[in-house]
Amino acid sequence: MAQVQITFQDVNVGSKTAKLITFSGQLDETNVDSEAKKIYQVIDEMAEPNLLLDFSDLEYMNSKSIGYVTDWYSKASAKNGKIVIARPRVNILDILKVVGITQIITIYDNLDEAKAAFGVAEVAAVGTAPAQTEAPEA
Amino acid sequence: MAEAATVTQPQVSTTHPEEHSVLNKSNAVKGEATPVKISITLPTNAYFMSGIRDFTMTVVQNMTGFSEKWAYRFQSVVDELTNNAIEFGSAPGEDIKVTFVSMEGKYIEVFVEDTGTGANKKTAAEMTAFVDDHRNIDPTTITTIRGRGLTQIVVSWTDTLEFQDNEKGGLTVHVVKNLDAGEEGV
Repeated sequence: MAQVQITFQDVNVGSKTAKLITFSGQLDETNVDSEAKKIYQVIDEMAEPNLLLDFSDLEYMNSKSIGYVTDWYSKASAKNGKIVIARPRVNILDILKVVGITQIITIYDNLDEAKAAFGVAEVAAVGTAPAQTEAPEA
Repeated sequence: MAEAATVTQPQVSTTHPEEHSVLNKSNAVKGEATPVKISITLPTNAYFMSGIRDFTMTVVQNMTGFSEKWAYRFQSVVDELTNNAIEFGSAPGEDIKVTFVSMEGKYIEVFVEDTGTGANKKTAAEMTAFVDDHRNIDPTTITTIRGRGLTQIVVSWTDTLEFQDNEKGGLTVHVVKNLDAGEEGV
């Protein structure tokens, strides 16, 4: 059975707060339905859901996982929020491209660029600062 | 764990009777070097799919000549086909069968067979029509969570995708990816 860990962290992106959501492991049929609920809960709880999906440790995602990403995007957009994806591995970027997600959601090579997508001026000062500016979620 | 896994280098004519019609669809050409054939039978439980993915990666990387990129791609292709067979083709408690046939430096093909006892049985003709109707759709217009596996991923990353009604009353999906000249290492 595939294993995946998802962690959540609040990050300041300029005047806004975004949720950095880090995926580690494999998203497939055995776990994606239950894991997706966690993301929907975050979207429901945030007034303006700005989500930064860090895929750097995501090893595999199936088509249903990609479907959930597009649905999160739609729901976040409906609340004036935004979703970006950062640091996907080559195979993950490949599958995101083939299903057209890269035409809908912007993909960034690194976290700083992804954070900048939410608020350019302020984030420029954050640069590559370590995580002390980021408060872990309770 | 897969219920059974065998690695053989059979002549097509000596194949198990139940597999004969399926392998007649194979790329295998009589008189040429014999392709490697590997069959795995597994229960209709998604629990086993990560193992199938790992196995697919091993087969493609070590026995076909395809690049790592294509190993990952075929891993997705097999995962999507296997999931469809488990979810729609065979009822709980029954099996599906995944057969890899590869000729190093030439091609890999995969057959995924279900028993047609699942919740949403489709005939080969229905599946062919479904894929034909969806293969050129703009993927950005898909708003549902499902609907990208077969018609986007599998269609894009295989040279042949075809369906056959099998002897068990189910569906056999057959995909082929040819290793074109100059594609090694790509």
